[in-house]
Amino acid sequence: MNELNNIISIIGKETTRAIIGLIGVMVLVVINALILTWAERKVAGHMQRRIAAKEVGPFGLIQPIADSIKLLGKELITPVNVERPLFYLAPTLIFVPVLVSFVVIPFGSYLQVKDINVGILVILAFSSLSVLSILIAGWGSNNKYSLIGAIRSVAQNIAYEIPLLLSLLAVVFMVNSLSLKDIVEAQRGLWFVILQPFAFIVFFIASVAETNRTPFDLPEAESELVAGYHTEYSGMRFALFFLAEYTNIFIVSAIATTFFLGGYQGPILPGIVWFFIKTYFLVFVILWMRWTFPRVRFDQLLNFSWKVLIPASLVNLIITGGMLKL
Amino acid sequence: MQFADIIFLIIIFVTMIGALVTVLSGSIIYAMIGLVTTMFGIAGIYVYLNAPFLAMMQILIYVGAISILIAFAIMLAGPLYKNPKEWTTITKFIASLVVSVFSFLVFFKVIMHASWMNTKAKEFTVTTKEIGRALFDKLTFPFELISLLIIVSIIGAIMLALLSKGEE
Repeated sequence: MNELNNIISIIGKETTRAIIGLIGVMVLVVINALILTWAERKVAGHMQRRIAAKEVGPFGLIQPIADSIKLLGKELITPVNVERPLFYLAPTLIFVPVLVSFVVIPFGSYLQVKDINVGILVILAFSSLSVLSILIAGWGSNNKYSLIGAIRSVAQNIAYEIPLLLSLLAVVFMVNSLSLKDIVEAQRGLWFVILQPFAFIVFFIASVAETNRTPFDLPEAESELVAGYHTEYSGMRFALFFLAEYTNIFIVSAIATTFFLGGYQGPILPGIVWFFIKTYFLVFVILWMRWTFPRVRFDQLLNFSWKVLIPASLVNLIITGGMLKL
Repeated sequence: MQFADIIFLIIIFVTMIGALVTVLSGSIIYAMIGLVTTMFGIAGIYVYLNAPFLAMMQILIYVGAISILIAFAIMLAGPLYKNPKEWTTITKFIASLVVSVFSFLVFFKVIMHASWMNTKAKEFTVTTKEIGRALFDKLTFPFELISLLIIVSIIGAIMLALLSKGEE
């Protein structure tokens, strides 16, 4: 304890908090990815009346660790004609938004690395970097499937970022703050999912599209594009893309929890437990959707966003603003 | 040298490197990445100046929307691997030299003669609320004027797209 106090006095309280927070975030990212790879197999298995992973450990719980050891041990193949700097840059870059987003998410009333007064903007601004890295991966791979996947991903992300922002804006209107902590505190008693059910639905659909999950997984459609933008990646670089995808699922669920489901608030149990219960419930719904809905066609995908979601969320925003002024 | 000065120098360094890559790179995709780096550097300067809202908007709009659209256009335009460097011919080199020297002198003159507010004395914090107030209160007219400009440019873009399709 004494040493810790010494360190705090040297580098300052804020910096210590940030460092400890970032270590916590790193641990959470890895554990979350391990849980989700296991959960995805199990959910998929039981939905198809199979047992799924069961050999390694009880209920196959050690399976993700075995998988990650396999991925760590695999050779990192760099194809001959790839654009080398870009090929190496993409898997690294995709991890930046993931780590930044965790800084502002309030896990409990005190468990937040830093409460920034433009919190939600930090997440939304940096999430655009993941599109950029998908683009770089697709272009740098020098592979037509990768490039098609990347182009689809960009079109999809541009289309779905607008309803995502508009649906969150409705909540920001009601709270008068961009800080995630203020938004959670404003939901003491009544969750915003009751006041803004429509915004919640729009946000959820748009966030599934932003994370490139089925039914919106056109950027990596296995049956037509091999694996989309990460076709040429192997070993740990491929694992980084997957780690980022699973962490993105967690992040969008955490934002939905924070904005619409009351965040860390709930009776009896401590705040962080409630936060994780709500978040993992939404994660489960996203996993569930993968095995329930077929993949949409590309024109359906874009039409749905531009012709349905954006006008509808604009109407929702106008009504919200009108109600607040009445 | 203080800690803040080091941060400032790093931000400037990143911005300059990005700008140089944008201008000097022969490959258009590297130029785009250089542009993104520059935008991040400028956002860093905003953070340094205690304007986080502006910084996040910078990233959201310039990195998230505009650069991505540029990249999208590049990829749809076709294979652009080893383009010759644009500034290699002597006339182009002289033209770019004249333009850069001229604009440097103009900016130098402006920066040296502008009266800068001394923000060190008072605490400089601008909240999102104040920015919104200013936009729709004091600065409504320029704000609307800018939106008019954007509408005009959008209509222009649509017209260009229609014309290139061969429709009247």
